[in-house]
Amino acid sequence: MKDMWTWDELQKSSFFEATARERANGLVDKGSFTELLGPRDRFSSPHLPMLGEAIAFDDGVVTGVGLLGKRPVFMISQEGRFIGGAVGEVGGAKMVATLKLALQAYEQVRKQYPDSYQEKLPAVVISFDTGGVRLHEANAGLLAHAEVMDQLHDALGKIPVIALIGGKVGCFGGMGFIAAAADVIIMSEQGRLGLTGPAVIEEEMGKNEFDADDKGLVYRTTGGKHKYILQDCNFLVADCIGAFRSQMVGVLKMPFVALEQFRRIGTLDLVKEQLALVKLATELRARDSMEFWKHFGNEDPGALPDLKLEEFLKTAKRRVRK
Amino acid sequence: MIVDSDSFLENVIGDYQMDSGLGPGAIVGTARINNQPVTLITNDARAINPRFRRVVYAGVIGLEEAYKMATAIFWTIASDHKKSLGEKRPIVLIVDTPGNGAGKLEEVLGIYNATGAYQLALAEARKMGHPVVATIIGRAISGGFLCHGMQADHILSLSKEFGTMIHVMPLTSIAKIIKTDIKRLEELAKTNPVFAAGVDFFYRLGGVEEIIRIEDLRQAIIRHIDAVREAKVAGQSEKLGPWGRGLLGAERDGRKTRLLVINRICEEFEAIAPKYLSI
Repeated sequence: MKDMWTWDELQKSSFFEATARERANGLVDKGSFTELLGPRDRFSSPHLPMLGEAIAFDDGVVTGVGLLGKRPVFMISQEGRFIGGAVGEVGGAKMVATLKLALQAYEQVRKQYPDSYQEKLPAVVISFDTGGVRLHEANAGLLAHAEVMDQLHDALGKIPVIALIGGKVGCFGGMGFIAAAADVIIMSEQGRLGLTGPAVIEEEMGKNEFDADDKGLVYRTTGGKHKYILQDCNFLVADCIGAFRSQMVGVLKMPFVALEQFRRIGTLDLVKEQLALVKLATELRARDSMEFWKHFGNEDPGALPDLKLEEFLKTAKRRVRK
Repeated sequence: MIVDSDSFLENVIGDYQMDSGLGPGAIVGTARINNQPVTLITNDARAINPRFRRVVYAGVIGLEEAYKMATAIFWTIASDHKKSLGEKRPIVLIVDTPGNGAGKLEEVLGIYNATGAYQLALAEARKMGHPVVATIIGRAISGGFLCHGMQADHILSLSKEFGTMIHVMPLTSIAKIIKTDIKRLEELAKTNPVFAAGVDFFYRLGGVEEIIRIEDLRQAIIRHIDAVREAKVAGQSEKLGPWGRGLLGAERDGRKTRLLVINRICEEFEAIAPKYLSI
């Protein structure tokens, strides 16, 4: 609904509070976003009505293409407000199709502009706001997860894949695996990345081990600041669409080969690096993320969560990568 | 009973040797099938990981386990990197896992890195030409199955008489979370494959290539390895892996909407492609 906001207003809007559609439009160049299989097409879930659930005409995910300068950006923006952004058959297929289109665009651009394709190199941007598999369509959702990972793997090494995490739901479940596979992860402080939600951990481990109502605990376990220190996310930005956009633009200005340094998984060397971190955890007998923060050189880990972003980025010590 | 007798060398893959203490919930190594080497990866439902004992037991794929499995795949790829397409060794995944670990440390460190690493390694191996065949002999659940199995070229499953179970979550938990009466769910589960747990439902959705009987286990795996290899050599890889199973889902009428969505999006993009691809 274009009369509800202007692109310029979106730049200053909270990413956390924004809708999936607002994020999609605001992240790419002004006026350049074309939604594919949007609500007008009314491709909603054929399964939800059976369970008495309301449907959404975009099935909870906004997909389409926009521009960043000359480069086509294939956008997947999840709507956390629709059944927790969880992935069902239609939404999953939209994600798979968008990735496939990005790959086809890559092939086309390379063929058409063999000497200058880098200028037009497509990119994939996924704004994650999801709990993972939509239980109402559990099997279809799970199958979609495997398909998305497969397509993403095809894209790696050919075109940049950027993950954005800054919504209310965060990025959980099997979608966390997919975010982890992206070239670059950009998070805000409010964003969270994990597998199992806090309530389930509390259920499994007991309230003494993990109190899901302890917001501080939740954020220092899966929140942006912690992931930034751990180097599990690459960039930490302010909670506004413009800040995410700005960082994304910065990343895409780099030569593609430079993105390799941001990856956290995907090769044997990276597995070794991660295993060293697991080993560190067992050596430290760590029970909380603050013990890691201290180990990485933060003398007063308890002060970090309350620091404003600017101060945090200046003073927080991150894990050193080889 | 699947591999040639006494042929399994645990922790050995090519010239590489896995640290024997690492990730006890997973077993990796090299075996021979018809005297050809295969990489074998399976869960060990009897092991407990002493460093993650509250989380990793009964076949759970924890942090160490998933990284160990990923490593085994990368070593497989490296061992055969000079081999031609038709000669890449098969990777046989035996699946019996209740999922990934729900634990605090797993969240602090990001177990999604481990599971994602394993998925990417399997996708890599598959695309390098290794026939990857997964067989469910017990539980194939959620994130555990997602990383250990669902990136395979072909997925087989023992029929449900053997207690095999494929699901994201048991119906009782689903009922609680989506706030629906369990009786209603059980009723719907009888006919709708899209959320109902079980091998037969997954088969209808194209999630499993074939349901097999235990007497046929070895022969079925060999048959599928050969069929997969043939397809790769013939340049028909789109019939394999997650994409291939998507097509199966449409064929078997379990996932018809999916293909419609994908085709429609592609059509819509075609119409506007020049605006984005040429400047």
